[in-house]
Amino acid sequence: MKNKLIIAALVTLSPLGAAMAAPNNVGCGVGAIIFEGQTGVAPQVLAVTTNGTLGNQTFGITSGTLGCAKDGVVANPVKVSLFLDTNLDKLAYDMAVGQGETLESLANLIGVDSAHKAAFFAATKSNFAEIVSSEQADTQDVIAGLNRVLAQNGELAQYARLV
Amino acid sequence: MSRIAGLLLLLNVLGWSAPVVAADDYARQLIAQARADNLADTRQWRALLHYRDNLLFPGVTGQADDSRFYLAAGGKTDPRAELDATIAAFFAPPIVETDMVQHPQCRFIARYQWLYEVLDFDAARLPPQPCERFRAWRAALNASALTLVFPSAYINNPSSMFGHTLLRVDAADQDQRTRLLGYAINYAVEPGGDNGGLFILKSLVGAYPGTFSLSPYYVKVKEYSDMENRDIWEYRLNFTQPEIDRLLMHAWELGPTRFDYYFFDENCAYHLLSLFEVARPSLQLTGRFRGWVIPVDTVRSLAEQEGILAEVVYRPANNTRLRERLTRLDAIERRAVDRLLEEESPDTVLQAVPAERQARLLEAAYALLRYEDGARSRGHADAARLSRRLLLARSRLPTGEDGDVAPAVPAPRPDQGHPTRRLAVSAGRDDGRDFQGLAFRPAYNDLLDPSGGYTEGAQINFLDVALRHEQGRGHLSVEKLTLVDIYSLAPRDGFFKPVSWKINTGFARTRLNDDERIAVYRTNGGAGLALGNWNRAVVYGFMEGTFDVGGELESNYALGIGPSAGLFFHPYPAWKLNLYARWQDYPLGDRHREHEINLEQSVSLNRRHALRLALSNGRERDVEYTTASVAWHWYF
Repeated sequence: MKNKLIIAALVTLSPLGAAMAAPNNVGCGVGAIIFEGQTGVAPQVLAVTTNGTLGNQTFGITSGTLGCAKDGVVANPVKVSLFLDTNLDKLAYDMAVGQGETLESLANLIGVDSAHKAAFFAATKSNFAEIVSSEQADTQDVIAGLNRVLAQNGELAQYARLV
Repeated sequence: MSRIAGLLLLLNVLGWSAPVVAADDYARQLIAQARADNLADTRQWRALLHYRDNLLFPGVTGQADDSRFYLAAGGKTDPRAELDATIAAFFAPPIVETDMVQHPQCRFIARYQWLYEVLDFDAARLPPQPCERFRAWRAALNASALTLVFPSAYINNPSSMFGHTLLRVDAADQDQRTRLLGYAINYAVEPGGDNGGLFILKSLVGAYPGTFSLSPYYVKVKEYSDMENRDIWEYRLNFTQPEIDRLLMHAWELGPTRFDYYFFDENCAYHLLSLFEVARPSLQLTGRFRGWVIPVDTVRSLAEQEGILAEVVYRPANNTRLRERLTRLDAIERRAVDRLLEEESPDTVLQAVPAERQARLLEAAYALLRYEDGARSRGHADAARLSRRLLLARSRLPTGEDGDVAPAVPAPRPDQGHPTRRLAVSAGRDDGRDFQGLAFRPAYNDLLDPSGGYTEGAQINFLDVALRHEQGRGHLSVEKLTLVDIYSLAPRDGFFKPVSWKINTGFARTRLNDDERIAVYRTNGGAGLALGNWNRAVVYGFMEGTFDVGGELESNYALGIGPSAGLFFHPYPAWKLNLYARWQDYPLGDRHREHEINLEQSVSLNRRHALRLALSNGRERDVEYTTASVAWHWYF
């Protein structure tokens, strides 16, 4: 965790960070492992904003979205992974309980139709063990698990490719 | 006219060639019309360019500290020249938009849109630019509502100790359950590694550049609610779609613009108000604040506007929710939670627990574990393994009812608490001599101020000054001048073990002999522990130190140390008592001893008026004294 935060801080301080950032999922955001501790140095890193170093005419953005946002708005292909990066442990909780705003927000991001929401919540609850496959699961593992579970579900298979 | 000609010439030089003559004529015509209509003097132009009246001299100054924000050379102080230059700039030839550069019509799209409406631009002679970046941005935000977000005060972080405000843009395809997905517009400063005191000093003189940033709201919720454990209030506002569009256009202009940050006046709260004024020019919000702007006061000033509040949502912080969960467990259940955290098998522990309570116990254990993990009181790998195990067990139980562990919404809300400015008139008797007093405190809240809307136990007094007139002495004297006085009284319980602390510094009086109370510069601080509950009583004990400096002291200083203890009692919502005793032994400098016992009471009549009664008995050096006073406090 600590190393990651230092890297995040270095990227933030580097004026080249924004320019070098990858346009897709890979390299976007800090990356997160589920159940990591949340207090400590992280608040400072999260609160740091970067702006104006390139003289570009745009918004400052928080380092959590560095390289993944254009004019401060998160690009479509990485919306889900960035959201999970920030909310992994809260999502795990909501999935286990079967409801909650983190889970609702994920359903919205994926575009789950309101008619399918109950099924979506039920599927993530009953397949919790597969989605959060270990205590070391990271964002990509959870996305992969979610995709597998959705793909195997007749009603929800249509959403598997959207995660 | 020569200035316009010059501007147009400049644009020509920059590569503007085609229908130059016709455009020149049209630009001149628009500028003339704008002048005839006195557009530079309108509220909207002043709001868009952030002009404010100068304090002493006639004229205005723009608050942006960024040469790129003003197009005319003297645009920061000359609204007319700026208006001329802006119109002329709109005639710039089309360019290919990149991350680095936009056409002036797009870079300053709120100015463009307003002038387009009031001057009725002819599209044939002033071709509108596509502004693709702005349009993509606006489409991505998909704004349908605005919410003023107020993370409550956080006394342990100087930049947030008066609270903070930011603006959330709510999208059309979101509802109350998916607000995390909105975007937050935030004005903040990057203090680098500067610590609390240095941060405040430097930000008093505008040494930090402040900037606007945009981030997903969930990032902000994580920062405030999960990491700093601050309750968040979300004030959903009634703005029309055209007003929202106007605000976003202006936010687009402010995005890359630097405004130097000033701790007291040009801070986050101030800049958000200026956004609302652009959205709805009839709102007069910033003009009310001269000198200092406290976030909660700006929330109040907005909330007081007729019909503007649509809904207020309370988002309790992580710790607030955890506390609520724990208070709803009985002793047996607490023991079961402890066993879960000792890594006993959930199946074993929950055997004896009724089915409907099993889920609550697992949730409470998980929440407590996350808190402990956050506080690093347990091995990280152990915590992760146990977290997954608890959630796995929870996932096998039914979902259950939503909201049955939600903390009650505190009443009153922050905007319904007492205003932060306070004027006090008092009368009393000090050691046999009558006195009258007058005191003023610009900000913010102390332990005995009317309850509600503020973090309990968090006292911050800034620039508290008290004057006194004593019988038999003709003149008025300064009784005290506190620069800053922070007191964080945080009760401990079975789960949370915070340390209480205090620090205050300023001019105070000390008794040298029977007749003389001399002024010293005093710095006092300490740390301690508190137990109890704010609704009833809190007992506390501190070890504190005092450093006095003064020309009339022996060796010009006195350094002391000693304990203090007190009881805070809250018998009724409107009635508070604070009984405390202090001992200070000064072994260095002006050697002496002091002790005192005080009883302070307040009775709040409403959120604007309160009465205070104070009794004090003590001994300083060889002087025994007794003081009694009654004061009327007015909050405004």
